[in-house]
Amino acid sequence: MTKAYYEFFCPVKIVAGNAALEHIPYELRTLAASRPMIITDKGVRGAGLVDHVLGAFAESGMDVVEIFDDVPPDSSTTVVKTIAKLYRDSGCDSIIAVGGGSVIDTSKGVNILVSEDGEDLSEFSGVGVLTKPLRPFFVVPTTAGTGSEVTLVAVISDPEKGVKLPFTSYFLLPNAAILDPRMTLTLPAHITAMTAMDALTHAVEAFTCMGKNPISDAYAVSAIKKISENLMTVLNTPDDVDARLELAQASTMAGVAFSNSMVGLVHSLGHSLGALCHLPHGLCMNLFLPYVLEYNLAERGDIIGELLLPLAGADVYASTPASERGRAAINTIREMRDELYRRCKLPRSLSETGKVTKDQIQKIAEMALDDGSIIFNPVEVDLADAIAVLEKAW
Amino acid sequence: MIRLQQLNLGDLNVGPLKRPYVALMMDVIGRGLEAASQVDETIQREVRKLPDGFMFDMRALPDGPCFVMQKDGDSTLSYIGSTAPRKPDVSLKFKHLNHAFLVLSFQEGTARAFANDRLLVDGEIAYAMKLVRCLNRMESLILPKVVAVRALKRYPQLSLKEKLADGGRIYTRLVKNLVWG
Ligand SMILES: [Fe+2]
Repeated sequence: MTKAYYEFFCPVKIVAGNAALEHIPYELRTLAASRPMIITDKGVRGAGLVDHVLGAFAESGMDVVEIFDDVPPDSSTTVVKTIAKLYRDSGCDSIIAVGGGSVIDTSKGVNILVSEDGEDLSEFSGVGVLTKPLRPFFVVPTTAGTGSEVTLVAVISDPEKGVKLPFTSYFLLPNAAILDPRMTLTLPAHITAMTAMDALTHAVEAFTCMGKNPISDAYAVSAIKKISENLMTVLNTPDDVDARLELAQASTMAGVAFSNSMVGLVHSLGHSLGALCHLPHGLCMNLFLPYVLEYNLAERGDIIGELLLPLAGADVYASTPASERGRAAINTIREMRDELYRRCKLPRSLSETGKVTKDQIQKIAEMALDDGSIIFNPVEVDLADAIAVLEKAW
Repeated sequence: MIRLQQLNLGDLNVGPLKRPYVALMMDVIGRGLEAASQVDETIQREVRKLPDGFMFDMRALPDGPCFVMQKDGDSTLSYIGSTAPRKPDVSLKFKHLNHAFLVLSFQEGTARAFANDRLLVDGEIAYAMKLVRCLNRMESLILPKVVAVRALKRYPQLSLKEKLADGGRIYTRLVKNLVWG
């Protein structure tokens, strides 16, 4: 690469490990906050996870002032407005998001409204519209996948206008991400598998696409190693606290990597498939990852080959000739997917989903070309190329 | 002292000719895109999917140079000039004149400029992706291959007709536009 240039930014404090939740009151106090609101969804609350957070406030001299537990799977400006009103009425001064992607994005939206004293979220949509820090904002992820706890974007749909509003600002980054193994301990096997494959894809695309840089690379490689070493352990023994924490950390590290290096064609195709056929994001990632790597192999063989080390370990890496490592790395990912299919029926192909028809391929490909991530794919992709990859993934 | 003055003026890293060069190239690209949209079907297919009256610009922050284009009719783009009559629907912004220079002198491709955090999109990403494809297509048609391969991730398979006949027609229109405005 000639004339290389990159930027890297991650100001999110990582609070990780056993009893991490109990650090929240102290961390709030350092930001001069004492009246937090919890934003979560019914599933998370029903699983008793909010109770862990509430428990952490015992003996802390601080109470959670308000809980909103009805964030829908697709967050909207209407929900954001409702929550912002609740926040103001209760005199809150900080936000703790407890949940996955939708809860986190919704909370970012709420933080915009309550900090900017606004009513209409669409006024703040776009790049760099926000110009000052928002209210103290913590994220407690309950899945190990999206990495939203360390990203500076949020996407919130506007049901009145029928559009998805994008928000991009450094001020959307949480002040802290709290990774406590208790929060992912009860995650069912198939969700654990899907979200781990999302995290793996973040790391692999960050490492192999055009935005790659040495600092993101370090996060990506470590994340891949943690996922390949711990995913099957967690599926074998779901209550293995250490392995759960490893996956949670891997997800955050992959999030740091891709929020700085961006993602590529796996995400372009996955976003379109998810939107058209209503399939979970992690499932889409699992489905396309090896096919896209094969598509990029001729151009990025050496770089993909480097991933054999974190994917398969030192012995396999050392015994594989350099020229074959790229192919071997892809095969390792295929074996992982086969194993996940055996254990929790996670589909490996479009046909295995049972939710896609062949005549949708054209539309999925067209939509993928308009996805922002496609520009970072190291190999150019036109309509025929996208269709070819989709057909391989059939 | 002179050096300090130069530093303050930015002469040392920008050079006195970069601003006029970038302004000229933006003018050429704007007119080239207009001409290409009248000739090339691939570009027309992309433009057709943009909303009616769609306007976009490409600019160097903080204050230009800039070129503004608008969709007119069903599938063509017209060159508006260097100032936008309203806020464009999509704005492609270089963080610095120097970054615009790298791309407009074809030393750095558009995709690389995005990946290197030098080029920002303000507005709907899906439209911006269509615009990037139009720009790439135009570059492949009118630039000599040795130059275009540096700027593009992949040089497209062009038929001789596309490269010579369509490229030639784009040139003719471009020259006409430049000379007669
Ligand atoms: Fe993802």
